[in-house]
Amino acid sequence: MNKRIPISEIWVYLSGDPLFALIITLATYQLGYLLYVRAKRNPLVNPVAISVILTCLAIHLLEMPYEKYFEGAQFVHFLLGTATVALAVPIYNGFKRMQGKIFHIWVALTAGSTVSIVSAVAIAKLMGASDNIVGSMYAKSVTAPIAMGIAERLNVSPTLTAVFTVITGMLGAILAPYILNSVKVHQWWIRGTAIGVGAHGLGITRAFSVNEEAGVFASMAMGLNGVISAIGLPIVLTYLRPHLGF
Amino acid sequence: MISGLVQLFLWQGLGELLSKFFLPGIPGPVLGLLLLLTFLCVRKQVDSDLAMVADSFRQHLGLLFVPASVGVLLFLPELQTHALAVSTALIVSVILTIAVTALVLKVLWYFSLKRNKGHRHE
Repeated sequence: MNKRIPISEIWVYLSGDPLFALIITLATYQLGYLLYVRAKRNPLVNPVAISVILTCLAIHLLEMPYEKYFEGAQFVHFLLGTATVALAVPIYNGFKRMQGKIFHIWVALTAGSTVSIVSAVAIAKLMGASDNIVGSMYAKSVTAPIAMGIAERLNVSPTLTAVFTVITGMLGAILAPYILNSVKVHQWWIRGTAIGVGAHGLGITRAFSVNEEAGVFASMAMGLNGVISAIGLPIVLTYLRPHLGF
Repeated sequence: MISGLVQLFLWQGLGELLSKFFLPGIPGPVLGLLLLLTFLCVRKQVDSDLAMVADSFRQHLGLLFVPASVGVLLFLPELQTHALAVSTALIVSVILTIAVTALVLKVLWYFSLKRNKGHRHE
């Protein structure tokens, strides 16, 4: 009566289910987030990086092809668009405090994101990186959900773009205080804005933990930078790409 | 919480439609963001449900790009070959981005403060 089900059969059933990919993704992120909080939100202990590395290890050990994993994980992936729309709220909250500074911030954001794109693309190209990599440098300074939308439209790899964005966020959050001190910028709202452009979500969390005003401006800058780039990049690149040769 | 999510989905849907039929160059969610932002500016307030959902999205934005980032497995050999180029590009670019944004803002703000003072003296 009580027929024994071989373990391999249970495994075949489980790994074929989308739930499995969802569990790995969420559980590794949860673990990463716990470690991050325990490490007093040190940017080196990035929950996203931890989750990505552990998930990679898991599906590699289980010999699960990426396509199969993504079939399940796409439910999380889908929410990127919704999260992008939600950025309207921090931008709006920032607007209320931006009175009289809108023009300045607009110019600084444009300058910052131009420098970011040009320097990353130029260095990668000069150092002989492959076209795939150079292409994915374009959108990496924009917050990941928007960056991946842009990448799809530019026909470059959204995956590499996402990875570069995560690394940029980590680097930015670690380096920002040193960079800002060395250029002698001390106003919180300016520091926040610069962090929002350069260090994305992780930078914002760090900015909020230091100063509330810096956090609000960082959130606003991250969202606004994304919007400017999403509209500007495809237009600029349509004209420039033929001359750049890739 | 549900009403906040519903609002976001509706704006996203509207953005997707707009992108599909009128502005194919701009991603739908970005148009949804702009529509919601316009709506908030007109209403001059964020309802608490929407604020809560938006805040949790912002806090855990990272989780949402884990599935795509795991695709890095497919690119590992390529990244290994170009590791030096990739790391130099990312590090230098981050430093320049933060420094330039902060300095431009600092200089512009300095001049507009100076100009305002000038006006007051006249």
